[in-house]
Amino acid sequence: MSEEFDFDVAIVGAGPAGISAALTLAQAGIETVVLERGQYSGAKNVSGAALYGPILNEIVPNYWEDENSFERYLTTKKITLLSESKSVTIDADLRNFAQVPYNGVTVIRPKFDRWLADKAEQAGAMILLDTMVEDLVWNDKQVIGVKSGDEVLKAKLVIIAEGANNILVEKAKLAKKPKARHFALGMKETYKLPKKKMEERFHLDDKEGISNEILGYSKGIPGGGFYYTNQDTVSFGLILNMDVLTKKKLEAPEVFEEFKEHSYIKKLLKDAEMIEYSAHIIPEGGFKHMPKLYGNGVLVVGDAASMVLNAGLYIEGINFALESGKVAGEAAIEILQTDDYTKNQTKLYKKKLKESFAYKDLKTFRRASHFLENKMMFTYVPDLLTGLFEKLLRNNGYPRKRIVKSAIGYVFKKGKLFRLFKLLIGAVRSL
Amino acid sequence: MSKSNKPKTLEEKLDLTKITTDHNYAHIEINPEICKAKCTTYECVYGCPANCYKFTEGEEIEGPVVFDYVACLECGTCRLVCPHDSVDWKYPKGGFGVEFKHS
Repeated sequence: MSEEFDFDVAIVGAGPAGISAALTLAQAGIETVVLERGQYSGAKNVSGAALYGPILNEIVPNYWEDENSFERYLTTKKITLLSESKSVTIDADLRNFAQVPYNGVTVIRPKFDRWLADKAEQAGAMILLDTMVEDLVWNDKQVIGVKSGDEVLKAKLVIIAEGANNILVEKAKLAKKPKARHFALGMKETYKLPKKKMEERFHLDDKEGISNEILGYSKGIPGGGFYYTNQDTVSFGLILNMDVLTKKKLEAPEVFEEFKEHSYIKKLLKDAEMIEYSAHIIPEGGFKHMPKLYGNGVLVVGDAASMVLNAGLYIEGINFALESGKVAGEAAIEILQTDDYTKNQTKLYKKKLKESFAYKDLKTFRRASHFLENKMMFTYVPDLLTGLFEKLLRNNGYPRKRIVKSAIGYVFKKGKLFRLFKLLIGAVRSL
Repeated sequence: MSKSNKPKTLEEKLDLTKITTDHNYAHIEINPEICKAKCTTYECVYGCPANCYKFTEGEEIEGPVVFDYVACLECGTCRLVCPHDSVDWKYPKGGFGVEFKHS
């Protein structure tokens, strides 16, 4: 095949996955172009958002030396269970995480993605903004480029990093249209909270941050709330399984508003001023529902490859995006040397990815998404635990029983013991 | 800073998000014929975080649901929840649509 190529590699999407691939390729001197439909990197992107410091450090060494790279490093993780007028929180204060490269850092995507894109540009990658890739260019069964409007751009390899709405992955015949039950809708509000007030409210020192996952009080819809602290804003949101939401005939914006009526949330957001509203779908099908990761002339990375993990304690996408982008970049460098861009060579990407933490984590937690579809986790369990604490702590003038006896009695009285037992077995098997 | 703790309406929330509308191109279109013939469950109305889908008020001239893409946050929910493939979903053209600044 003798094609004239404009670039060695064309990457669709300048999010963390696409940029991480571009950076890896550009650093190796490969002619790389990134096509981004937004006005800038991150303009279309919605996340919690936090990512792991050690992973970012691999991609941009000593990233923390640059003030614009992140908002706060995470030292506190809270898990909260909500029920009507009650809440129970586990508060893990982990000061060991306060050392570089930091365990986790919070980011604001339009800021972070732009910062990362700048790194790729400095390394020599070209980033075309305001450029929507509508289709792939084929030569027989081989992808040989991308199409934007009337423009055609030919490349030896195309890396699809288009995000969760993976239209091009379908066009590349690497996936069928996915099912709603494997996706969640995330709605998010960003609040302005002056730095001093934030640090007082959340007991943080300068640059320290907190993340909080919140289960329950979501109308029995699998999902949960979250908040992350940035420098002087709070990212707050609610994630809902879209299949259950629509089957229950509940309107998403209303479920979100009612969630915010809980006193736990109200206190959190008191006097904070909302400055942005956003929403996005989240692939939650996990390992079993990933598309094919490679084809003739094409590789798939990040959310476009459904590389998102929801294991309750962790809901991660950016880490896998960064890692899969890097691995795809490394694989592409080797593939380009062979001058063969068919599946015979592009399969190298999957082989390499299998060795990465991203693929291994998704595999380890492959049963988690199914487990977290169990509605008991979002209704019965928060009710049971918050109720139990109320029972143990309430003093109504009667002599008390021993704590353990009282607790066992309470759990028995709430019933559903067999299902609770099954749930525990499920947790042990999947998490 | 706002001292009022009165919750914002969805319209007020959507006003906070910068959207550059492409008046010449609707990136999402529904097929009222399909909606009218097949739909009894209206997943789009419940799933959309920006209320772009609304029940038709009064007589059902076109179909049971009306759609307007102007406030669309480009999340992709409607494409996935519609069981009848009545939602023709594309991204807006380059440079148009939402422009998040703090998300």
